[in-house]
Amino acid sequence: MGESTWRNYKETKFHKPLPLKGIRVLEVCTLLLGPSGPGILARLGAEVIKCEVPPMGDTLRSMAPFSYFFKDQSTSLMRPNPNKYWIGLDLHKPEGQQIFRELAARADIIEENLRPGVMERWNVGYRQIVEVNPSIIYISKTGFGQWGQYAEENRPSNDGAAQGMSGYAWISSFPGRPPLKNRLYICDSYGALLGEVAVLAALHYRDRTGKGQYIELSQSEAIMRTMSWVWPYQQITGKGAGPAGNRDVSICPADTFRCVDDTFVAIAAPDEEEFRSLCRAMGRPELADDPRFQDHLTRLQEENATEILRIIAEWARTKTAEEIERLAEEYGFAASRVCSIKDVVENEHFRERGFLTEVDDPLLGEFLDYEFPVMMSRTSPRVRWSVRPVGFDNEYVMRYILGKSEDEIRQLYECGALGKWAQVRGRRPPPDWDGKAGLILSKESI
Amino acid sequence: MEHQRWADWIRERDDPRIASTRPEALDDIVVLDLSYKSFAGCYCSSLLAEFGAEVLRIEPPVGDFIRKCTPYGILYKGEGLNYLSEGRNKFHITLNLEKPEAREILKGLVAQADVLIETFMPGVMDEWGVGYEALREINPRLIYASITPFGQFGPRSRSRMPDYDNIIQARSGNQYDSGEMLPEGKTYDECPWAVPTKAGPWIGWVVAGTYMAVGILAALHWRELTGEGQALDVATSEAYTSLEDWAAIWYQGAGVVSERFGNLNTGGWLYCFAPTKDGAVFLGGLRLEMWQAFADMLGKWDEWGAAEWKDMADFSTKEEQLKWAELVFAETRKYTSEELVRMAVEYGQKGRLAPIAPVVAPVCSPEETMRDPNWLDRGIFTPVQDPVYGEVIVAQAQYKLSETPIRIKWVCRPVGYDNEYIYLKYMGFGPRKLKKLKEAGVI
Repeated sequence: MGESTWRNYKETKFHKPLPLKGIRVLEVCTLLLGPSGPGILARLGAEVIKCEVPPMGDTLRSMAPFSYFFKDQSTSLMRPNPNKYWIGLDLHKPEGQQIFRELAARADIIEENLRPGVMERWNVGYRQIVEVNPSIIYISKTGFGQWGQYAEENRPSNDGAAQGMSGYAWISSFPGRPPLKNRLYICDSYGALLGEVAVLAALHYRDRTGKGQYIELSQSEAIMRTMSWVWPYQQITGKGAGPAGNRDVSICPADTFRCVDDTFVAIAAPDEEEFRSLCRAMGRPELADDPRFQDHLTRLQEENATEILRIIAEWARTKTAEEIERLAEEYGFAASRVCSIKDVVENEHFRERGFLTEVDDPLLGEFLDYEFPVMMSRTSPRVRWSVRPVGFDNEYVMRYILGKSEDEIRQLYECGALGKWAQVRGRRPPPDWDGKAGLILSKESI
Repeated sequence: MEHQRWADWIRERDDPRIASTRPEALDDIVVLDLSYKSFAGCYCSSLLAEFGAEVLRIEPPVGDFIRKCTPYGILYKGEGLNYLSEGRNKFHITLNLEKPEAREILKGLVAQADVLIETFMPGVMDEWGVGYEALREINPRLIYASITPFGQFGPRSRSRMPDYDNIIQARSGNQYDSGEMLPEGKTYDECPWAVPTKAGPWIGWVVAGTYMAVGILAALHWRELTGEGQALDVATSEAYTSLEDWAAIWYQGAGVVSERFGNLNTGGWLYCFAPTKDGAVFLGGLRLEMWQAFADMLGKWDEWGAAEWKDMADFSTKEEQLKWAELVFAETRKYTSEELVRMAVEYGQKGRLAPIAPVVAPVCSPEETMRDPNWLDRGIFTPVQDPVYGEVIVAQAQYKLSETPIRIKWVCRPVGYDNEYIYLKYMGFGPRKLKKLKEAGVI
């Protein structure tokens, strides 16, 4: 399994180049759908400049599980925003817009997730940016896209709205119960991930032809794309796709079962060999030859599926999740306990692979982050640093990237085009910050 | 600005209806998709095929088992419904990799390909002599993408355990804290629905496949710069875990394990599904002004003291959320979902805080979604005219691009449908040679 290819992968990450080295990205994004996309590019080595309106910045800065903040920072902000440069730039101001256009002229990609038309009102819409940079790749991510009825109505959206309007929540619930919102911000996170497929495909096209383009993505449409069988099923049968709880209606057996100690385990054993193995592990080898369960398509039929899942549920109820996981390894079917976040953070396999990676951040100290989940043998993606207060990297970006003088920078602050953080939780630096750590080129000026 | 409204201007350029008049972003790329029993691999190659990559879908002569993973066992013209949706734009050929002769043919294809996707257990391709290290010798520019349950390295990578979507969801940590809370004093026997609940769609597989598509495209860019190929490794549960955005930090920082919180949101208020007269709506108001606008929209500005509210964090603790949820749900039950949606749209036009408005969205069945004129207008459910399967509705046009839009040319193909064309094109196998190979069980 590629012994030499993957040897010491975790240890040698920083001795390899990054695949998007030299790509510059401008971000005008809030919450999750927006920032997560450039967050992916930043993990792949792009230089991402995140523009926030000072002094409050990204709305995500307020979000925290039951009001828990990690060193005064929003826990939700950390995951989608590693490796970025943070500027506080007021795009309501003409001077701010001018700075943005100067940055855009030397950028490769722009990502925004404001309501349709807002960027154009700020004179930094696609049509305006193309005049200073014809080969720009520009993506807008919203609830409903740039045109159509809902966009015209200027409806706002959130992840939960997309879970509702796509039917995703409907089929992720138990029959007879109200539709259930998934705990993940799945339409945000997935929409952002899918958006990067388009951005990078566009980058490939630009590599070939020099041509940029505009991309729009609706988070509802993105999540509908994941619901494969649902649409042809509805067309072909004339029936609506319904909720099925934890049962996978396309794979049998595949469900979640309660164990003897009231923990839960997922089991799957659809192909003939796997099913036979499961039956043997249950001490019921004869089930594999039962005509009701004789092949996958037969097992999938409603009555047969209900029956085999009932039998497995009875058996699982007498075992622990660990016992079932062991039997799965031994006999050759699939099983996993339903892991909590504690199980995930303490997962040795994840740590050994470097998927759970230690970050030593000048502002936030040490913590474990998830590494980009595609390990790349020649160009390893990685997290280097974490989130920053609003406007934290103003000086670096103005001086180093735009070459502004001290006087010019002062004027930008005076007219309010540039700004820094408000002294509130989620915006300001951690309480133990020494006034210097993490700053680039500006240790004297603050 | 050119005196044309933005919405009209961009629609003229990115409406999926004009996709066929535009070039394709990846039509210079050849992809070999060897995935087996893995929807992650199929989905990954679909994302590339939609952009014009020539994807050669390589199956064993009996076909991929994934074709038989179909809701309630339903086949349409012999095809499972999940596969019917992810066969899009791919050429389907067969090759029995158990045979040494077949592996030599694979090497010939690899020499002419840009990307290879495979989902066999780690080590299987090596044992066959077609692992990354062998194929790199044949084609150093090759991008070799493996999607497996535990990845190519690490202590569990030698596990032989198969991979399915519900297993990924359980292992990722994301099922554990999704679901209804067990009502106080009740047991699981009384409330078998108040348990960790997975998502209905194959989201674990889909996320793994989409991440791999991102990895492949980043690797392609690197190859443009340097000429170097490389190997890529996705462990499916890592991919799905990585969409979790606050629980791990909370656990590390405060030792708290995230638990189920039903239709509310541990991560903040106002963010929930709320019951209505005839169903449910989503309510979103994460910014203070939006939460105020919501209270105002319901006529509760004074009664709830909205003018005095200062900080959303004051509403986000568990106790506050449960308290406010009860008050809010008592109000939303007085209206239909449609009424609440309209009230929010109108509030955004003429409410006290307009244009600020809360997010109010209907919770729809997928049947309602598929009939919604907004999505139909935007080309998501345009039927595909397929020469083999007839008119089929699958989701498409999930992103719209002005220069290189995605498109569906055909939805699917039966097993081995394109053997004649593809083996002639790449290997020069005419009818006589093909017949021999078929008889020998190679293809």
